[in-house]
Amino acid sequence: MGVALFEKIQEIRAIYPEGTQSALLPALRLAQEEYGWLSPDALREVADALDVTPAVCKSVASFYDQFHLEPVGEHLVEVCTNVSCALYGAQQVLEAFQDELGCRAGETSDDGKVTLSTIECLGGCGWGTIVAVDHHYRTGVKPEDAAAIVKELS
Amino acid sequence: MTDHVTLTIDERTVTVPKGTGLVETAQAAGIEIPVFCYEPRLGPPVGACRMCLVEIEGMPKLQAGCTLTAQEGMVVRTARTSPLASEGQNSTLEFILVNHPLDCPVCDKGGECPLQDLTFRYGPGNTRMTFDKRTQEKPIPLSPTIALDRERCILCYRCTRFSESVSEDNDLVPLNRGANTVIGTFEDQPYRSRFSGNVVELCPVGALTSTQYRFEARPWDIQESPSVCGLCPVGCNISATTREGKVKRIQSRNHPQIDEGWLCDKGRFTYGHLTAADRIKTPLLKGEAGFEPLEWDDALDQAETLLRAGGDTVVTAFSGTESTEQAYALGRLLRAGLGANGAVLPEEIPTALDAYRAPLSSIRDATTIVILTRDLVADRAPIVDLWVKAARRNGATILTEIPEEKLEDAVLISDNAAHAAWLAQDIDAKSAFYLPRTPNGRGVADAWSAAGDGEASNEEPRVVIVSGDDAAADPAVRALAAGADFVIGIGLFQESFEGLADLVLPATSYLERDGTTVNLEGRVQRQRRAVIAPCPDELAWISKLAERFEVEVSPHASLAFEEISGRIYGGVSFAEIGEQAPLPPAAEKGAPVPAPKPVQVPVADGLRVIRYRPLFSGPVVDRVPEVEFQKADHEVGMNPADARERGVIDGDMVTVNSRGNFHRFKARIVRDLPAGTVRLSTYAEGDLTEFVAVRK
Ligand code: SF4
Ligand code: SF4
Ligand code: FES
Repeated sequence: MGVALFEKIQEIRAIYPEGTQSALLPALRLAQEEYGWLSPDALREVADALDVTPAVCKSVASFYDQFHLEPVGEHLVEVCTNVSCALYGAQQVLEAFQDELGCRAGETSDDGKVTLSTIECLGGCGWGTIVAVDHHYRTGVKPEDAAAIVKELS
Repeated sequence: MTDHVTLTIDERTVTVPKGTGLVETAQAAGIEIPVFCYEPRLGPPVGACRMCLVEIEGMPKLQAGCTLTAQEGMVVRTARTSPLASEGQNSTLEFILVNHPLDCPVCDKGGECPLQDLTFRYGPGNTRMTFDKRTQEKPIPLSPTIALDRERCILCYRCTRFSESVSEDNDLVPLNRGANTVIGTFEDQPYRSRFSGNVVELCPVGALTSTQYRFEARPWDIQESPSVCGLCPVGCNISATTREGKVKRIQSRNHPQIDEGWLCDKGRFTYGHLTAADRIKTPLLKGEAGFEPLEWDDALDQAETLLRAGGDTVVTAFSGTESTEQAYALGRLLRAGLGANGAVLPEEIPTALDAYRAPLSSIRDATTIVILTRDLVADRAPIVDLWVKAARRNGATILTEIPEEKLEDAVLISDNAAHAAWLAQDIDAKSAFYLPRTPNGRGVADAWSAAGDGEASNEEPRVVIVSGDDAAADPAVRALAAGADFVIGIGLFQESFEGLADLVLPATSYLERDGTTVNLEGRVQRQRRAVIAPCPDELAWISKLAERFEVEVSPHASLAFEEISGRIYGGVSFAEIGEQAPLPPAAEKGAPVPAPKPVQVPVADGLRVIRYRPLFSGPVVDRVPEVEFQKADHEVGMNPADARERGVIDGDMVTVNSRGNFHRFKARIVRDLPAGTVRLSTYAEGDLTEFVAVRK
């Protein structure tokens, strides 16, 4: 198991006051960077390193869209579906990606390449619909752009 | 009165101490502020449900009353006088009910459901919800004892707050976010906590129900009997729910000084032992082919013959599960009738400790707590563990050894009576709690001494009386019995006495008898008969048997108690103990207790094995399949540092190597465990030496 991960988490832990759970978010991020997603075993490791229960880790991780509790593909396509983007037609953009990838939001394409998900506001409300492709924003995305973006990733 | 504030609620003026919550303040004025999530025992309010909305003069919006405290001059209006608050609560309920299935007719909570009650009082009379309601798989087993119906959950977070801030197991958590939030555990593992059942009582709707009580009864066809749990020395106050003469569930009956309304799962979920398959209902005599039932008259004849044969050599081994009256009755029969003064008492409690008596609730206010126990406090006296946790949350220091520097006002918790009595004096403890091994060992010892005096015979016992199933399981008692010509057993379960006793007389459970028990604080409490036992009461036949030895023993618990009380409890009566027993005052500090000899801790290579008796063990637990999953016999407890050194994390399977014998156990990280030791249940299978090696 990840001795290195344990050590790294201890470093983070030392930054925060004893007896708080502040280190949990950065520790989960570290684990996700290490494994690509937060598997049950990854959550157990984080729990062990922070002296909390795996249940608490899962509770926090499942609160945030940015943490993956299922394996993800090589690439990540996140479509903002909050109010502003919804007004720009985010639903249609999402559906276009679903058609292109053959999977629904929260799932990964059959070839394991791309994971599609919805996401809460990314802060680009003036330029919707915002789609984050591997964490880089594409602005003003229209349904007809989906095919090209997917092609880029394959 | 600067420490008080005066305010107006619905035009009533009320004065309360500063810092009083608005909900309690309203209550003091005779006004209800309805709540779901608010529960002060779970820590600070969270304001999750918005049921408690009130209008407060000077504040622009409705406020969640549960999050506020009373302020001088505040003008509060509840739904009674404020149309705005009334409208707010009505809307809150409409919102809560949007996805609530309203399956009250098949919901266990129906009839005693805060959501039903508050909807009737404050909610809309009909629904505008014309869409399909959200549905979920239901019910899902949260554990073998608790069912979770997510459709009914109103996300008040009472259950998860209990898990986080009371039992501190942190295994029941909210998952996901917003409207998709559900209550659950890690990877759907069973919610396993010594205290899990409390969430059933806390849940204000029928989302968390007891699998044992499901569909068994309705609130309008049950009775409640106020009694006291008889399964450990805490003596939690319980209410036994019965229907048609059967116990259907055990609930808490909050005694603020003892349990604060919490129970452990052993006390809550093991009443099924009453109807165990091997429950003894008639006297049994050992025959050619095992036990055979016997008529009562013949049984008493047999008992008389055996006792006469034993004469003053009879030794009685107690379990500490007897009521004080039962032990007294037996004591009278044997001591006065036969001069048989020999007894194996489960517990000897030095009177010096009575000078350090205090209510359990006082632990919460401690600044320093010294815990010197081999078993975890939670295994020996579960609720005491909750008080210690509460103290720790309040900032108390918890020590597991005596420090060099002088301790101020320390509270001592120990499972070694003699050592505790000395140490309490030595550190000048504020209070001291000895955790007995048995539920009423103390009352039994009191009763035995009140029943007579005189020395035990020096002769080998010709007859041994084994009272109770726990004594029957005790290796020391079995060894003593093996040397006797005859053994008389008194117990609940046939299997306990197989191969041990020649004559067995049936016993009653603590839920089937009237009498008293003495808890670890030294508080005398009353148990009441919730259901009729399948056999006559012990006092009835002991009294008949005693007659044959010309000893008068009352068949009535109240009269027996009067006798005992006159001798050792200062003459208090059954009635005076009442439903919430008071704690007798602490005794005067007495003569110094001699220091006990220090115990040498052996040292060797490997990890030292500490064997302990888990909470979920013993004859009663063994007969209730639903709590089987709580057993810890396949687990090894490890100190975090030892685990880390071996690359072991909680839940990993590890191999325990004991001189070349390999056994597999599931590792559990136990923070309170001293480094260099591992904990294993006394019931753990396998040939295990005192020192072992552990690897992943
Ligand atoms: S299960 Fe019950 S106690 Fe827990 S959050 Fe839901 S309604 Fe509240
Ligand atoms: S803590 Fe002890 S007295 Fe209380 S419910 Fe559990 S077994 Fe019974
Ligand atoms: S009772 Fe006040 S918000 Fe729930």
